[in-house]
Amino acid sequence: MRSDKHVPYLFLAPALLGLVLFRLYPIFLALWESLFVTGFGPAGGRSFVGLENFQFLFEDFVFWRSVKATAILTIIINPVQIALALGLALLLQRKSRNIRLIRSLFLLPIGVALPIATVIWGLMLNPNQGLINGMLDVIGVSPQPFLTSEAQAIWAIVLIATWKGVAFWMLFLLAGLEDIPKSLYEAIRVDGANWFGRLRYVTMPLLRRTLLFVLVADTAANFVLIVPMIILTQGGPRQTTNVLMYEAYRSGFIFQDFGRSMAIVTLLTAITLAVIALQVLVLGDRRGQDK
Amino acid sequence: MTGWWSKSWPVMAWYATVAVGLIFTIAPFMWAVAGSFKDNPQIFSEVSPFSLMAFVPGTDPSAYFAIFQNNFGRAVANTVFVSVISLAAGIIVNSLAGFAFARFAFPGDRILFAFVLLTFAVPPEAIAIPLFSMMRQIGWFDSFWALIIPGIANGLVIFLYRQFFAGIPKELIEAARVDGLSWWHIYWTICMPLAKPVTIGAGLLLFVFQWESFLWPLIAAPSPELHLIQVALARFATEFSVIWNQQFAASTIAGVLPLIFIFLFQRQFVSALTGVDLK
Repeated sequence: MRSDKHVPYLFLAPALLGLVLFRLYPIFLALWESLFVTGFGPAGGRSFVGLENFQFLFEDFVFWRSVKATAILTIIINPVQIALALGLALLLQRKSRNIRLIRSLFLLPIGVALPIATVIWGLMLNPNQGLINGMLDVIGVSPQPFLTSEAQAIWAIVLIATWKGVAFWMLFLLAGLEDIPKSLYEAIRVDGANWFGRLRYVTMPLLRRTLLFVLVADTAANFVLIVPMIILTQGGPRQTTNVLMYEAYRSGFIFQDFGRSMAIVTLLTAITLAVIALQVLVLGDRRGQDK
Repeated sequence: MTGWWSKSWPVMAWYATVAVGLIFTIAPFMWAVAGSFKDNPQIFSEVSPFSLMAFVPGTDPSAYFAIFQNNFGRAVANTVFVSVISLAAGIIVNSLAGFAFARFAFPGDRILFAFVLLTFAVPPEAIAIPLFSMMRQIGWFDSFWALIIPGIANGLVIFLYRQFFAGIPKELIEAARVDGLSWWHIYWTICMPLAKPVTIGAGLLLFVFQWESFLWPLIAAPSPELHLIQVALARFATEFSVIWNQQFAASTIAGVLPLIFIFLFQRQFVSALTGVDLK
């Protein structure tokens, strides 16, 4: 069996090569290229500038506005999506005659690409002829500006991303709910607990790990949410949807400043990791407590 | 009477909530598909004042003809090409790696597997911009290479195959070894046919990832001849922003194929994507 020794490496080589080159290396490339500035045009050379790109960022109010937009989006979108995903999971946990069909219908947006969802919702939310304003008119609400308003644009983005994403996160929570032993519910029912009691003392504690996973994964996904900004808002109005991911895209592909773009990507990665670490530290299992 | 009410109000509340949720989920689909078969004045007239006819399909297919005259067919063909190649290559490359992790103990196996798991925690968007820079350096920028090659190796697919292959009985493999079969033969003629359910789920995953990719093809292959379907759709939405029926038609075509596949293989797809087994 000596000749077998090289076999696993041969089998692994193509996939590992791909992962190292196209998943791992770009992370370090971003770090490295954030230390350069690129000249204009395709022939423009680059020169090493150390941490200058970062220094410029920290002195740039556009960057700080982008940080603010990212913070606002993060604070709104993650709790909204997780609360709705949990609510939907509790709703669809119920055994009902048509539950399989109902679940399938709720899962439809998972199969729709985000650009499609963005284009359709962009028309739904069109201030002049959109479907939503048409429906609001029926119940006597005046037309809303949605994506064209500084106050509402970020909420419109939350709406689009949530319509597309909530069923996906719901799936994990639904699986978590179905793993909870029925005997626990029966026991607490005997003790006279109502629906809220069962939710508070059985469901939530036992769903905690799943919820933490969904929170972390959802947060990471929303930090790179960029499609609705590319197609609909271009970061506006007045930069209210100009999140860091979009600012990185814009710096590189509209202003051709790839050093700045890479510096933002690097910072965004660091921020994402820090926020996730914080979530795990604060909300993770503290053994010996709670149970 | 009150007894009946207190017993059945939770059921009614449940149905009411489900109905509201379903309307919110499905209305955009219905409006878009219905509108793709109408002319624009009709779409606008059914929105204000609002009429339920907005959700009833029209009979005018001209928006579909119009988008195909606008090069949408090229994008569809490109996307089919890229998705099918990615699916085929992705199945082979990743199942080989999954097989190695499942059937061999070798120096470094644990750390390499941990690395594979970590790679699917990295969102593709986060590395798109440096990856673009890399494509320019190696000369793949604006080519099919850039669209296909970086997406082939996929940590999630490796993981799915590893889990499946690890469950194949040892005796089966050992018997095949005693019979003198090579590892390649064991992988290809014994294990891969057994792994059909994983291959359906993973293949669908690879196909759908490519079909639905947007940011990467947008930046890595900007030439119109290389546009993939989501990029072409976004172009319609910005260049022809007032021609709604064409946007609806493009959305419908971009959405319908993955939705059919996912609907047919919903269970395999969901379990591949999330590890959740829908009952």
